[in-house]
Amino acid sequence: MPPTETLRPGERGGAGGSATGGPEQTYIIRQSNKYYEHRDSQATAMSVDYSGQWVLLAGRGHLALQRLGQDDGSLRRHERQSKYEVSVAEFAICPSRKEYCAIATSQYIDIVRWGTSEPHYEMSLRGHTRTVTDIDWHGKDPNLLVSCSIDTFSHIWDLREPRKPALSLNAVCMSGATQVGFNRVSGNLLAAAHDGDLRIWDIRKGSCPTHYITAHLNRVHGINWSHKRETCLATASQDGTVKYFDVCNPRRAEKIITTMSPVWRARYTPIGNGLVSIVVPHLGRGENSLLLWSNSKQTDPICSFVGHTDVILDFAWRPNHESSSEIELVTWSRDRTLRVWKIDDNMLKLCEPSAEEEDSRFEPDLSELRVPTPPELLHPRSILVAASLPISTGDGACNTLPMARSPSFGGYYRREEPHIARSLTDQPTCSLHHEFSLLNTNMPHVEVDTLDAIKRYACFKICAGGHTVILQVTFATSYPSPSAPPEFQLCQGTTLSSEVSGVLLKVLRCNALQRVKKSRTCLEQCLRALVAAMKKKVAAVGGADRSQLHLQSPRLEGALSSTLHDACIPYPRTSGVHFNAIGMLTTFAQPVNNKRLTLRQHTALTPRTFSSINGSGLLGNVMATAQREANASFYLQERMISGKPGKQRAIRQMNGSPVVHIYDTSSLLHISRSMAREFSLDKLNIAETCRKNGELCRQHGRLDLVPVWLLAELIATPQVPHESLNELLFYKDPFKKSLLESLIMHYASSGDIQTAVLLACLFDKCPTGGGAIMEMAVRLPPQLNSQISPYHTVLPLDAKSSSSSNTWQQLKQLRSNSWSDSLDLEVKQVQSDAYACSLIRRVKVPLFDQFKRAYAEILFGWQLLSKRALILKHTQNMPPPIQGVEFVTECGTCAKPKRTPKCEPCKRPVLFCVLCRLPVKGAANACLACGHGGHMDHMMQWFEKHKVCATCGCKCLERTAELLALLS
Amino acid sequence: MVSLLQEIDTEHEDMVHHAALDFYGLLLATCSSDGSVRIFHSRKNNKALAELKGHQGPVWQVAWAHPKFGNILASCSYDRKVIVWKSTTPRDWTKLYEYSNHDSSVNSVDFAPSEYGLVLACASSDGSISVLTCNTEYGVWDAKKIPNAHTIGVNAISWCPAQAPDPAFDQRVTSRSTAVKRLVSGGCDNLVKIWREDNDRWVEEHRLEAHSDWVRDVAWAPSIGLPRSQIATASQDRHVIVWSSNSDLSQWTSSVLHTFDDAVWSISWSTTGNILAVTGGDNNVTLWKENTEGQWIRINYESGTAIQSKQPSHLPHSHSQQQQQAPQQHQQQAPLHPGPSSDSEHSSNLSNSQLSN
Repeated sequence: MPPTETLRPGERGGAGGSATGGPEQTYIIRQSNKYYEHRDSQATAMSVDYSGQWVLLAGRGHLALQRLGQDDGSLRRHERQSKYEVSVAEFAICPSRKEYCAIATSQYIDIVRWGTSEPHYEMSLRGHTRTVTDIDWHGKDPNLLVSCSIDTFSHIWDLREPRKPALSLNAVCMSGATQVGFNRVSGNLLAAAHDGDLRIWDIRKGSCPTHYITAHLNRVHGINWSHKRETCLATASQDGTVKYFDVCNPRRAEKIITTMSPVWRARYTPIGNGLVSIVVPHLGRGENSLLLWSNSKQTDPICSFVGHTDVILDFAWRPNHESSSEIELVTWSRDRTLRVWKIDDNMLKLCEPSAEEEDSRFEPDLSELRVPTPPELLHPRSILVAASLPISTGDGACNTLPMARSPSFGGYYRREEPHIARSLTDQPTCSLHHEFSLLNTNMPHVEVDTLDAIKRYACFKICAGGHTVILQVTFATSYPSPSAPPEFQLCQGTTLSSEVSGVLLKVLRCNALQRVKKSRTCLEQCLRALVAAMKKKVAAVGGADRSQLHLQSPRLEGALSSTLHDACIPYPRTSGVHFNAIGMLTTFAQPVNNKRLTLRQHTALTPRTFSSINGSGLLGNVMATAQREANASFYLQERMISGKPGKQRAIRQMNGSPVVHIYDTSSLLHISRSMAREFSLDKLNIAETCRKNGELCRQHGRLDLVPVWLLAELIATPQVPHESLNELLFYKDPFKKSLLESLIMHYASSGDIQTAVLLACLFDKCPTGGGAIMEMAVRLPPQLNSQISPYHTVLPLDAKSSSSSNTWQQLKQLRSNSWSDSLDLEVKQVQSDAYACSLIRRVKVPLFDQFKRAYAEILFGWQLLSKRALILKHTQNMPPPIQGVEFVTECGTCAKPKRTPKCEPCKRPVLFCVLCRLPVKGAANACLACGHGGHMDHMMQWFEKHKVCATCGCKCLERTAELLALLS
Repeated sequence: MVSLLQEIDTEHEDMVHHAALDFYGLLLATCSSDGSVRIFHSRKNNKALAELKGHQGPVWQVAWAHPKFGNILASCSYDRKVIVWKSTTPRDWTKLYEYSNHDSSVNSVDFAPSEYGLVLACASSDGSISVLTCNTEYGVWDAKKIPNAHTIGVNAISWCPAQAPDPAFDQRVTSRSTAVKRLVSGGCDNLVKIWREDNDRWVEEHRLEAHSDWVRDVAWAPSIGLPRSQIATASQDRHVIVWSSNSDLSQWTSSVLHTFDDAVWSISWSTTGNILAVTGGDNNVTLWKENTEGQWIRINYESGTAIQSKQPSHLPHSHSQQQQQAPQQHQQQAPLHPGPSSDSEHSSNLSNSQLSN
């Protein structure tokens, strides 16, 4: 077939045309300049080499080279043996490697060098675990190429080091990479498509993507970087759009070309300002259009290249060596023809922004051409017409569509009413059409039944929450002006009660009104709101499974499942360490080969993700993950599939089952249970105690501690004769104080908490004077203490608090139970003086108490409970959190709540006994109702004989019991 | 110095991922990829006292609660669940609570200091952290979630020890009750984050950046009361970093403990907070101690003395020192270290070929 060129008559550059009046747009329609037919070729991939002379057609059974420019039409064929299709083939784009090409089959990439007679397989790049989906050569560095795969990785290969990828880009996501492309300007940026999303990587920083672009609602089929602007790229997607992005502004596309059908490829022209896209028709019928667009005008294509009768598989640019201002387009289609199209100067000029302004010069020549053509007349001319029509969309084009489109071309437009279409050339139609075209037809739960922009109505079928709603929406002509919300109607087939229907309609109207008030379109929002409302209704009734509903949304599923993905789960630990509270160390480490067994990448380092273990066919599939979860034996699964049933057992025996070791590290931690048991804290003769403890250390081999106890003994020994009688002198010794402190601090910070705490306890309080009392206190077990005094301090009797509400307020305040209260008078005395006669400065006491508590916890772990209690007795009282009623007394003078028998600032006792009228210091009791009380002994005596309060006649016993019952 | 008390054959059917002794050191809990948690007596190498089955995937970590709440164990798994187990006798375990509100594998669990009550923090690959609080009186669990704690996923979590009351305000009980809960977490975004509970909400207090790859483990050093805090973090980038701060936790300084030969994924502090145990992809367990100059030195198991002084250019030395360490490593691994077998290679190849289809 000779190259033909069909130019539609028109003014502009000998091309172009227009339809009957109005803002009609049109474009050039071209047939191919050259045409090669290869009926027996089953090539699935095509590539043009650097020189533009050779075209590679690669298929499962053969590689074939077609020489362009010579009209012999014969192929150089080379058989190859593979059971897999060639997924992609790419010639190197740098001149120094022009005879090289990369051919991806299954998960491997072969680098083939074309010699004079036949191809040489130079190397095979193996790194992907699943099918390689795309390859791209680096534009500047002839050694680099990038490949991407369903396994979600994009690998950058250096041909000088083909054994493993030079860089692996791990897109942590659910979906495999479908497209990849190096930036053409700098070569540093790289874009990879994962479903509808793009990840932009900087290969100088390969750890994570620099940008994420949520580009399309559906799978991206093509990525192409601009040849001029570093950060710009165009993407083609299943959702029928081509989007221009600037990666610096990933939030929204700069421009969008909308077509009716999925777009398979979109590539910038290497020169000029254009872009060529392949549109793949639904159901494989008609309109295999190859369109040239201007980058500055997205509404209409500049040119349509027609001739292919089946899906165009790929296209490539062929530099025209005669003229630098012209390029050629080489296409390979499933109709097994290779076509070459010339894109000349004129066409490229049309792509320039300036050329498009002159709309007025269109002539109505195209009108007769656009007579509906029956689809069965599939001779080239009719294809030309059919192919040229439905692809142009947008405001301008929508008028022509209803007329030209035959009924078989889909249900979006009703051809029967062309007159309506003509009459409605005003803006609203367009915006309604525009809204329809933008409507996401893949909304979860929503099926689009009819979208009729002409009759201005739409029908939807919504299935959510177990109910079906047939919704008809009618749009007024003035929609979406503020006063004209669309009308909603639930049609036959709706399975809701009228009551619920009313609610749902209200939801719809509310949503619609909110949007149209601002003159915005509302259809999609309304539909979403309806779905949400339906779900809620049903959830309220039956409690539908939320997670399942969630998973039905493809977007959500994407987001959710990406987190399910093993690629974000860290690699399982094969070894571990754990210290418990008392210094026992647990360790385990599994044999190395057990681990390596399941690894597929033999890298030096342990991989970081779980997916590297079974990064197999299961990857990228939620369902498979779920199945695997059900399998109890996890890493052995693969082996079990491969082998006999008994094999698992065999492998386990071979590797040995995991062993855990338990070590006692307490000596590393300088703590010892046996020493803790024997240490003495006898304070009657501290020097003697120190000597004993030193001896103990010697016995247990802690010779390093012997001198310390010797020092301690010296500290405890009075320097001046009879000093012990004059305590003040003894405890004021500044040298001893700081020596002791630095000793304790040294041992605490070096981790020998045992020694630090023993020293701190031993010199905690003065040994003499209060010694006898201390002994007594020490002998009292704490539990006993708390039994002695269930309620201690008592409410004061001033008028203010006797009103019931106040009493309640105060009752709610919690009160400390007390350890010290029972020790009463004398111990209080001792404590107040304890700081004065202690070698430990007051500021250090809280810190040392912390040490003691930490040590007590270790003693608890050792189950040396009495030792623990002994240590805890040397801490300041830190009562456990109170559970129960607490009385707080209030000072009569300063009206502040007090927890002590005496108000320190006022120098007044706060509580007086109602019976003896004397201040109460010790155990006290009071009525919860009237607040009267006093010494516990007196109260007990009184209530042995009486039933009512001595002061106010309140039935204290009964009411207190009632209140306590209430509180509990 | 370190004495081997017991060697326990866990008889798990698959890899063990964590093993922890309880507070008293009496019971050992191990968890494995076979989906089970096993309880052993730590002093006898007997069969497992109990096998807790409830997870449907590999169990990554177990954690013991403080014994004042009873014998309580938490486990987290790939199956996105956290299970809290309770026992009456060591052989008798029942599920106390099951939490399944994570959308991905739960990688780490840790019980809060007992002062805060029975509180459990869980870190998940869905990027969130859950804090589960048990009302012990009613047995009701309350869950609070920190969404998007780390992008991609949270790998490890650890509680700040209950803060010592500030000495200056130590007079009253109140200072104790207002102790602030803090957490440290490490995730796939290479960050370590410190979280503070602020009026029932968890807010990010600090973000520690130094690792260049996923953070695999974090451990807040137990405090004996000294006015300082330390956090150790282990990462895929082969570094263990020790972060130190003064008592007010406002400034954190980092120091690299060591660069290991492989990714590091498990670290643990001793009770007194001065010894750090580390292990990673090379399956070697090493113990580290900070000397008085603030340098971290590796210590020998047997003598307790330093093996290796921390030097920036440790490489020429490390080899010989590795060998010095080697006998004992060998001793530790000998029983589980059969040579590579042709059989295993074979099955690995088989699984490879499964893939290509």
